Amino acid sequence: MKAVKAVFRNPPLLTFLLVALVWLVASLTLRGFGAYGHLRYLLELAAVIGIVAAGQTLVILMGGIDLSVGAVITVTAILLPLISPAADPTGLVGIVLALALATGIGLLNGAGAAYLRVPPIIMTLAMATFLQGLLVIVAGGSAVTVSNPAVILLGQARPLGIPAGILLWIVVSVVVLLIIHRMPLGARFLALGANPLAARLSGVSVARNTLLLYALSGFFAGLAGILVLGMNRQGYVGIGDPYLLMSIAAVVLGGTSILGGRGTYAGTIPGAILLVTTTALITVVNASPGWRSIMFGSLILALLLISGREARR
Amino acid sequence: MTETRPLLEARQVFKGFFGNPVLKGVDIALHPGRVHALLGENGAGKSTLINLLSGALQPDSGAILVDGRPVGRFSPAAARAAGIAVVQQELSLTADLSIAENIGLGAFPRRFGLIDYAALQKGVREVCAMVGLTEPVDMPVADLSLGRRQMVEIAKALFRKPRVLILDEPTSSLSAHEAGILARLIGTLRDRGTALLYISHRLNEVQALCAHVTVLKDGGVTADQSLAGIDGEGLVRLMVGRETGDLFPPRPLAAPGATRISVEKFSAGLVREIGFSARAGEIVGIGGLVGQGQEDLLLGLYGAIPARADHAEVSGLPRLPAHVGEANAAGIVYVPADRKHEGLVLPHSIAANLILPSLGRLARRGFRDRAAEAGLIADLARRLTIKGDVARPVQALSGGNQQKVALAKWLPLDPSILLLNDPTRGVDIETKREIYLMLRAFAAEGRLVILASSDTPELVHLCDRVVVLREGRVAARLSGAAISEEAIVGAAMGIHEQGEAA
Repeated sequence: MKAVKAVFRNPPLLTFLLVALVWLVASLTLRGFGAYGHLRYLLELAAVIGIVAAGQTLVILMGGIDLSVGAVITVTAILLPLISPAADPTGLVGIVLALALATGIGLLNGAGAAYLRVPPIIMTLAMATFLQGLLVIVAGGSAVTVSNPAVILLGQARPLGIPAGILLWIVVSVVVLLIIHRMPLGARFLALGANPLAARLSGVSVARNTLLLYALSGFFAGLAGILVLGMNRQGYVGIGDPYLLMSIAAVVLGGTSILGGRGTYAGTIPGAILLVTTTALITVVNASPGWRSIMFGSLILALLLISGREARR
Repeated sequence: MTETRPLLEARQVFKGFFGNPVLKGVDIALHPGRVHALLGENGAGKSTLINLLSGALQPDSGAILVDGRPVGRFSPAAARAAGIAVVQQELSLTADLSIAENIGLGAFPRRFGLIDYAALQKGVREVCAMVGLTEPVDMPVADLSLGRRQMVEIAKALFRKPRVLILDEPTSSLSAHEAGILARLIGTLRDRGTALLYISHRLNEVQALCAHVTVLKDGGVTADQSLAGIDGEGLVRLMVGRETGDLFPPRPLAAPGATRISVEKFSAGLVREIGFSARAGEIVGIGGLVGQGQEDLLLGLYGAIPARADHAEVSGLPRLPAHVGEANAAGIVYVPADRKHEGLVLPHSIAANLILPSLGRLARRGFRDRAAEAGLIADLARRLTIKGDVARPVQALSGGNQQKVALAKWLPLDPSILLLNDPTRGVDIETKREIYLMLRAFAAEGRLVILASSDTPELVHLCDRVVVLREGRVAARLSGAAISEEAIVGAAMGIHEQGEAA
């Protein structure tokens, strides 16, 4: 009984167990679900969500939110093929430029929130709308095909049979967990998220941390955008849209408080896997796209009630 | 008007919050046709008593009587039904609604289940005329000045035709003209047989308007008597009372050291162009009524709110600190009054709160040094006798222990100036004694302690010098034998002007 209670007080573990349970039941009942190739495919999809949600986790822990991540993914996916110089055979220059652009967008979000005191929800939503408009002007609504070799490698390569996207996600996870749990920065923005006033009076700089975290969120969204582009080989307007809700849902499924100050990326990781698993299971059910959306929304709510409820105090 | 039956009465009411007793057996009786004054320093329990009398809170024990009969569960609705109305100190108006809607809110006259606007307007015009509100009644309250809003608040209470009217510092935002209207109105209501309870820090108003006084101190009644023949000095004496004990450490005879703070024409928030200086080894008290600029003085010196000064030297800086980080780097630290909202990150652990200001200093190559952190946390917990597991959330601690955490987290910075805002508010007596000893020890080590306090005995017995603020300016500078409760309370209330001497 005590052990059960401990699990319920540990949202990351709870979400992880939930994933294990769903995978087990689905493997036993659905033919093909438990195949190595299928599970690997699910993880590959989860990697994109997990990488976007890395930035989202940081921002939410600090008490903010980033509603521009979907637009940043789209911007990177569409602009990267256009800004990759043809003279660079590796394609790395294009990636660096695209990541710098995404980070810059995040910095602007942070500057608006920190210096202009625009509420983050408004600042990032306005940024998303602005970027979408910009894309229509630049790309004109047509899809762009990627020929950048580094991006294609990232999307398609499987060293030792493991997709590069999953490896990238592991690296991102290690970095983000180190930031949250092993660096002063992590303790500072957790304090900011739980009580901004007390943190400020304790010498924590609100402006500096806000800028840094939104820049990181932009960076991770850009990274996810590059991965999506490599996996699809095409960028188009709207490619990043599904990842906005997904990134927030993964954070909250992982037990992180949407109000900030409490949580960890260790919960977001199983949260992202749970999300793609749910999507995959719904696809198996023979239903029209409308009903699938309704089922997906209801399932997210139901999962939140299970894993989010007990974390509350 | 000797013995009428009281309309509203509290008998031996006790009330505490989270194990902290606020009212300890209070009696008060409000008679028809009498203006009753309720006096007491901040934190004496006045607001809690008002809340009990208006049904907003239930007493832990004791009884509330209406018309001499005890009422069982005294809810706000029951209080309204009994004809009790309160004009709160914090305005309760809805800015976007009109004057008439605000006044009628919750007591709308109805016709066929709908608001009867004609009847509402008629009733509202009557009460507006009584309080001298000439603005159109459909004007939104947002367009009114603070003083006019206060008059709307009073009109709102009158609209309910109260038999008992409680006024909690009604004149604090009123102009002299409006205060005059209110004084006449109070006389009219009294003559009509309304029982009035009048809370004010302005003793001249109390003298002019009230016939009877109840004085609260630390949750008990220290005086309940007629005001006939009592002057301003007498009122101050009633409020101050007597009792201090050996709560306070003795003052050393050592002379203070070098000047640590020197500002001229310093303004920040409510503080208007004051001159201020203090030296190492001193405990300087900042006194005054609530909200006279004490907090802004500290926050301005801490770089937490915009401040300016003609000349400033603070802890070696040739100017005021521009932000909190700069203040911390210069050895200036601040302990806020509201430790729950400003001082501590409540849901986080004791350890996380203690380490927050030292994170950067202890990090090695960008990463946290957990061993060094644990050592520092254990050391701080031991020095401040914070008992138990430091992994517990800090909100699990008592008020006194929370305050110790809010103070202890600064010690690793070896501060040269400690700015403390009411550090003993809501703190038990034992922790108070510990904090006093600690502050005295800080001063003996050559640090400067600036202590804003709403606790007058603390200013008198702990501080080497006291600066009393009133309306953002210095009302008195006291030192040595001149520091007394009478002098501080008197200056805070503007009874005897000490001026800018010394």
